[in-house]
Amino acid sequence: MRAVQDNGPPAPFVQFVRAARLVIDKAGPAAGLIILYVYFGATTKGFLSAGNHVNMGLQIAVVALLAIGETFVIVAGGIDLSVGSVLALSGVTTALLLASPHPMRPAIVVVGGIGVGALCGLTTALLPRRTHPVPVVVAIVGSSVGALLGLATAWLLTRRDPVPVPVAIGAGIGVGTLCGLVNGLLVTQADLPPFIATLGMMGICRGLAKIQTQAQNIDLSGATSFMRLGSGRIPHGWGVPIPVAVLLAVALIAFLVLRFTSFGRYCYAMGSNKEAARLSGVNVKLHTTAVYAVCGLLAGLAGVVQTTRISVGQPTGGAGYELDGIAAAVIGGASLMGGIGTIAGTMLGALIMAVLRSGCDLKGLSLEWQEVVIGAAIILAVLADRIRQR
Amino acid sequence: MRRVLLLLCVGALVGALGCQKGTEAPTTASPAVTGAKAGTAAPPETKYTIAVVPKGTAYSFWGTVRAGAEAAGRETGVKIDWKGPAEETDVARQIDIIENFITARVDAIVMAACDAKGLVPKVKQAMDAKIPVVTIDSGIATDDALSFVATDNVKGARQGTEKLIELIGGTGEVGAIPFIHGAATSDMREQGFNEAVEANPNVHAVKPLYSQGDVEKAMKAAENMMTSNPDLKGIFAANEPGAIGAAQAIKQRSLTGKIKLVAFDAADAEINALKEGTIQALVVQDPFKMGYQGVKLAVDAIEGRPVEKRVDTGVVLVTMDNFNDPEVQKLLYPEVSE
Repeated sequence: MRAVQDNGPPAPFVQFVRAARLVIDKAGPAAGLIILYVYFGATTKGFLSAGNHVNMGLQIAVVALLAIGETFVIVAGGIDLSVGSVLALSGVTTALLLASPHPMRPAIVVVGGIGVGALCGLTTALLPRRTHPVPVVVAIVGSSVGALLGLATAWLLTRRDPVPVPVAIGAGIGVGTLCGLVNGLLVTQADLPPFIATLGMMGICRGLAKIQTQAQNIDLSGATSFMRLGSGRIPHGWGVPIPVAVLLAVALIAFLVLRFTSFGRYCYAMGSNKEAARLSGVNVKLHTTAVYAVCGLLAGLAGVVQTTRISVGQPTGGAGYELDGIAAAVIGGASLMGGIGTIAGTMLGALIMAVLRSGCDLKGLSLEWQEVVIGAAIILAVLADRIRQR
Repeated sequence: MRRVLLLLCVGALVGALGCQKGTEAPTTASPAVTGAKAGTAAPPETKYTIAVVPKGTAYSFWGTVRAGAEAAGRETGVKIDWKGPAEETDVARQIDIIENFITARVDAIVMAACDAKGLVPKVKQAMDAKIPVVTIDSGIATDDALSFVATDNVKGARQGTEKLIELIGGTGEVGAIPFIHGAATSDMREQGFNEAVEANPNVHAVKPLYSQGDVEKAMKAAENMMTSNPDLKGIFAANEPGAIGAAQAIKQRSLTGKIKLVAFDAADAEINALKEGTIQALVVQDPFKMGYQGVKLAVDAIEGRPVEKRVDTGVVLVTMDNFNDPEVQKLLYPEVSE
């Protein structure tokens, strides 16, 4: 191509080449996905069936939710290793509230309530652009207390067995958010490296999940209205499976937030150069804390989604999923150095992993080889990225 | 000012931890309390400490092993020290645990090996240190351990698969969901499955997919197995996560009863799936007996009595036909029978 350029080709051709390069630059992961899809579609029986497409969507929903949260953290220059364990803690929290009476119930609801409240508070704090610090704190504390009272009242009023499904889900997501918030505070207030803070949280959450359940799976066969969320579809009966619908909604919101809000822009700014972001007036600590809270929230949501899908609260669930989530973000073009990454890319990364896993399974490729193939895919994706950036 | 928020969160976490402790206290404290009482009232009680090391702690199977071990402990006046790795794949962690027990000089070790070869050196080390080792459920590759108390997994899987073949009418495709390629128990159950299939010329086995001991991964495996083999008539799930995952996948596709499912073990979720008809038969081992016999044999060994090298604890095929038999109920709900 370069030789052609040197010979002075007509302008439209140069433009075409430039456009083509741009497409290749932007669409690396997409091209990878298409190649894999066509390959498995052509060579594997059953891969192109409608049922398998629904399956792939369901199979990637949990990891993709984690990957979206991870994208926020990675773009902002951090990393979160705790999401797999937070997923398990949130999942068993919801499961315990829905299963038999549990002595921990008030504590779980209160912790969940604080999480939900903290989330509301952070959202309130992040909404106005140049708010005075005092109103921010007032907003955080106020909405924390509000949500706490809300959840606690809901629990006290109902006191039914089992707890109403929305309270159980709220508590699960709240516990996840609270874990994320603590991660964020450890990183911003205690100044711990994200790797260390979240590594610690990974152990704490895994341990708490096992302590709560005495390390047993919590059977939810009886909680039919909750289980319907995992097997149901929107619109009812024939549409998109609910876990996939949740994923699509979250992906859309995350895309809009990261792309079009000041919070989203700050994430890129902080990830590119924290000091520069601080000097240009970004409240780095507040926004970094918020980023981890969002990641925790999504891990909590992923835990609830996984629980609806597999019908048990699994204290060992999600082990290693944090790495799958990080891998999806990285395959999708996010840089672990911070400042680079998109939700669309992450979704592509997650899809590539889903297609690889499903395709290898359907082909009957052994698990050992799947590990090799996915490992190679991660390296190839980042290598391609490096070459493009040169 | 943000310090207030920090304090609030730390407070909440500490509070949560406090509550956790509160609920956990009775379970951990009670053996110690009874031990202390026994120590003052009747000195010969709690004469030994026996370490019981499971492969994992997450499945009700291990909870029942623990109940059996503790029952034997109460009977013989032995303190049971229960500790195992969280994941059944975590060989390194199990090695650490065994090392620590050797250092702590427990009187005997009762263990289920995460890896048949990987744990051989540790068993040797313990035996050399005059600490008798009894393996339960999952043995080691050599015969260094004093005794092996377990289900004959090949035989159990063969019986279960024969039931599955009977359920599908003696002809068609069946698939296995073992847990970890290379783990002794998983491999033996896969072998039993294959033996039963090979004995029936009209039955064909599709490629096995592994659950890796995780319910969600098992569910994916079952989904993918059904997708790539549209004529699949039956699934054999080799343990609890495989069974729950496969049952969920079958339910999700509204194929309950159309694809037959026979599974090892009897967790709550599996029993419920049996009742609602997603699972047709359960291959139930006797984990209570494993824990119980394991500890009893260990005491025999400490006190110098001869110990049998191999004890088969057997399996029972549970279907809705024999579900309400008292013998079966005792096996399914061991805590109740206590």
